[in-house]
Amino acid sequence: MAADATAVPLLDAEAVEVEIGGTQILRGADLRLGRGELVAIVGPNGAGKSTLVRAVAGLQNPSAGKVLWGGRLLSGIRGREFSRLRAFVPQRMPVPAGVTVREAVTIGRSSHLRMLGRLTAADRAAVDAAIERTEVGRFAERALTTLSGGELQRVQIAIGLAQEAPVLIADEPTSQLDLGATIGVAGLLRGLADDGLTVLLVVHDLALALAVADTVVVVSAGRTVAAGPPAAVLTPERLAEVWGADARLSEHDGRTALHVAWIDGPAALRAP
Amino acid sequence: MARRASVFAALLVALALATVASLAFGAIKVPFSEVIEIVFGNGPGGPDQQIVEALRLPRTVEALLVGAALGIAGAILQGALGNPLASPDVIGVTGGAGFGAILIIILFPGSIALLPIGALCFGLLAATLVFLFAWSGRNRGSATKVILAGIAMLSLFTAGTTGLLAAFPERAPSAIFFIAGGLTSSGWEQLETIWPYFAVGFVLALLLIRPLDRLALGDDVAASLGSKPQLIRLGAGIAAALLAAASAAIAGLLGFLGLVVPHVVRMAGGSSSHAYVVPASAIGGAALLAAGDTLARTLRAPIEMPVGPFMVLLGVPLFLWLLRKAV
Repeated sequence: MAADATAVPLLDAEAVEVEIGGTQILRGADLRLGRGELVAIVGPNGAGKSTLVRAVAGLQNPSAGKVLWGGRLLSGIRGREFSRLRAFVPQRMPVPAGVTVREAVTIGRSSHLRMLGRLTAADRAAVDAAIERTEVGRFAERALTTLSGGELQRVQIAIGLAQEAPVLIADEPTSQLDLGATIGVAGLLRGLADDGLTVLLVVHDLALALAVADTVVVVSAGRTVAAGPPAAVLTPERLAEVWGADARLSEHDGRTALHVAWIDGPAALRAP
Repeated sequence: MARRASVFAALLVALALATVASLAFGAIKVPFSEVIEIVFGNGPGGPDQQIVEALRLPRTVEALLVGAALGIAGAILQGALGNPLASPDVIGVTGGAGFGAILIIILFPGSIALLPIGALCFGLLAATLVFLFAWSGRNRGSATKVILAGIAMLSLFTAGTTGLLAAFPERAPSAIFFIAGGLTSSGWEQLETIWPYFAVGFVLALLLIRPLDRLALGDDVAASLGSKPQLIRLGAGIAAALLAAASAAIAGLLGFLGLVVPHVVRMAGGSSSHAYVVPASAIGGAALLAAGDTLARTLRAPIEMPVGPFMVLLGVPLFLWLLRKAV
């Protein structure tokens, strides 16, 4: 689980602020990643979860705060080098016509190639390993346009794995998937973390976060308000405070559930 | 893969046939065997060799270069902007080049040699304005912003062109050949001035092949791989502007070629990988323009018709036939 405390964390972000078009989205967010850890970012809609992962992944410029990757400032790391530190898997990538699964995963390897250079045996092996690990091999020669949502999400993860970066960041990888596909993708991500990859996810489903995460980080109104083991952080009090819900999480035999008072929550929690 | 290879082979055969036909046909027919001997440096000499070397060879090279340039310009713009309607028209080049050429025809009717320079300069000017507007303010460098700024610039320069023609109707006939698009048998002179723009454009396009593949998977995946999406779009825009402006300087307004050839190539090969689409569009564009130009100057020889309409006649049926089967 968590890395040893003396080591430099893979990622250390402090007091990150992001402003987009004059609107302050993040007002002070902290995030740390240790090796082999699966961290889930949770929080209400609009709290700034995606903005936080985009900021630490270098896809969105922070307006204040500092982001360190392996002790180095993000602003000093060049694109090609950064691609070997972290892979970013978007919620849903555009699906171009006329591109096969294998071609897409090979594109994920392209940051390892020299300009105009060809794939080496090691590059081909990395592409094959990513395809095998995500179990997309049986439709590897099919066009992206023919895939289901669950299959496409696995391909997106394969594209990220082909980068062979020690950290995989995924923005809501299961939010558009059905139950079975969600279980498949969640199991894949948990397995990757068990194999030593550091995984940072934005997760909407709290029961899922409880089941897969080593650490959850709660984002509310642009700030990180809590971080720690899921059972310790996602207490009924916090669910009430952050989500305004009368709810509690339970875990039994590796199964997790979110119990919600959908209609008749306590009067104090309902909108006035 | 096999399908791509066979499309490539077919395109190369078409290119070879179109090139030989372009050298052989015209007011005087030169036999194919003689053309091939001349090209490989052991021609029989005499007037046939002179016609081929001094008149038809430069014109054929122009057709091949312009066709390849427009095919590539369309392919990289469609890739960079993620929009199937993108073509050199969309970044303002065609509108600017048209305006520049008409300006020369009207202001300096005696120095028609300046026409390619006018087309080139105004084509690049229009593209520069498009990029300046698209790269300012919020969402700088987004595909939508480039396309909207480009369409606005196209309208502006087209209005300028139409206004000039309406004000000086007596000059309109000399402008029509340029607007319709066509090659001339004027030797190597134009290419001597214009070739560096082609060269830079071709090299940039080659370097953009892999970044454009990344961009096809979205800005986020491209950024994850260490690319800067806006920079890829800017590079593609600059390459396409150079190629299209240089093409307009030599052959007038042939924007249709840049729109259609990459689509034909994608549909025929069933692939939109840029390592395939960019070179195939270059070969396809070159073959199409050389064939169209040969038709345009032989059908009613010795009268030469502008190649633009002929290429459309060749290209549209093929395009529509492929479109029928496309998803």
